[in-house]
Amino acid sequence: MNEIWSVYILPCVCAFLACLGFTLVFNIHGAGKLICGMGGSLGWLIYLLGGNTIFAAFWASAAIGLFAEIMARLRRCPVTGYLLVALLPLVPGGGIYYAMSYCVSGNIQQFLTTLLHTFGMAAALAVGAMMTSSLFRAVYPHLHRP
Amino acid sequence: MNYDQLLNISVELGCQLMFSGAEIYRVEESVRRLLQAYGLESPEVFAIPNCVIVSVTTPAGHPITRMRRIASHGTDIQLLERCNELCRQLCAQTPPIEEAQSMISALSDRTRQYAIWQVLLGYGIAPAFFAPLFGGKAEDILAAMLGGLAVGFCLLYAGRLIGSNSFFRTVICSAVASLLSLLLVRLGLGRSVDTVTISVLMVLVPGVALTNAMREIMAGDIISGLSRAADSILTGTAIAIGTALGLSIGWIF
Repeated sequence: MNEIWSVYILPCVCAFLACLGFTLVFNIHGAGKLICGMGGSLGWLIYLLGGNTIFAAFWASAAIGLFAEIMARLRRCPVTGYLLVALLPLVPGGGIYYAMSYCVSGNIQQFLTTLLHTFGMAAALAVGAMMTSSLFRAVYPHLHRP
Repeated sequence: MNYDQLLNISVELGCQLMFSGAEIYRVEESVRRLLQAYGLESPEVFAIPNCVIVSVTTPAGHPITRMRRIASHGTDIQLLERCNELCRQLCAQTPPIEEAQSMISALSDRTRQYAIWQVLLGYGIAPAFFAPLFGGKAEDILAAMLGGLAVGFCLLYAGRLIGSNSFFRTVICSAVASLLSLLLVRLGLGRSVDTVTISVLMVLVPGVALTNAMREIMAGDIISGLSRAADSILTGTAIAIGTALGLSIGWIF
């Protein structure tokens, strides 16, 4: 129980609060703030469950894409805001930093590995959210026919 | 109907949408819907990230075109939601043009904004809670919060000093972030330079550009998508250069 708390729940709460911080920067008000936070913690939970790999990032961003599309339909708002903030915790800031530090210290092998991993993460994020968004848009009109 | 005025208000709406950070297809679609709601047959709208061109042909057969450049801008989701709402309302009700014009020009004034200290607080909160995600402990949280506040201060107040070039701005801000993290860790606040720096850099990371690039490409706007993708790669490079700069300055002293 203690392990579940420290490994899964606490990071998700942190992701929620971090996304809440970003809603102040991007001028999101009202219920949108909570939706962004929930999207962020959902994405981070899936990323943790998947084991911090590129593939996990792909599924996390796919889940965020679906969540953001559904929430945008419910609230009749543009999907951009929710997607933007919820994806932020997954963006590979650490990858950029470590690639830079290997590059500066002259460790070319490690530099290239980290750089490619960073690009892989970014591509996984983009493709994951793109895939579920497109799928949702293709399927939604059939589900919601009056 | 006064078509010059109609063209002006539709370009104005497109501009406001652009300023709020809307996707290209949303700008084009909204302006086209608005013009069609006012009875124009086939309005042409073309938008790329810093320019909107709208061209209409009046029923008398007279073509008119208006182009507007858009300066670099941030993201304002509240404004985006308001624009979207207003566009839907205008298309459904088509009020007289003068009324529509006053509604559109009141848009940016009547949009709720956070006070400047709240935005600064946002810049502080976000890195503070990113620190535990990257393995930071309690001291790191405090250090990351201070670093985030410093970067937020640079972004909000030092714009005139740094200039409007976003590459250079990112270099300076990430140099401040890494230098400050190094100093704070040396002073005993925060344990790991890596964790604190990465947490602070998360506010500069090109997440917005990356997400937008993906959405543009998904919608079929390849030019805008590629330019935003290039933007996110450039921002990433700027972060790396700035961080290296800050750390090397820090190591000298």
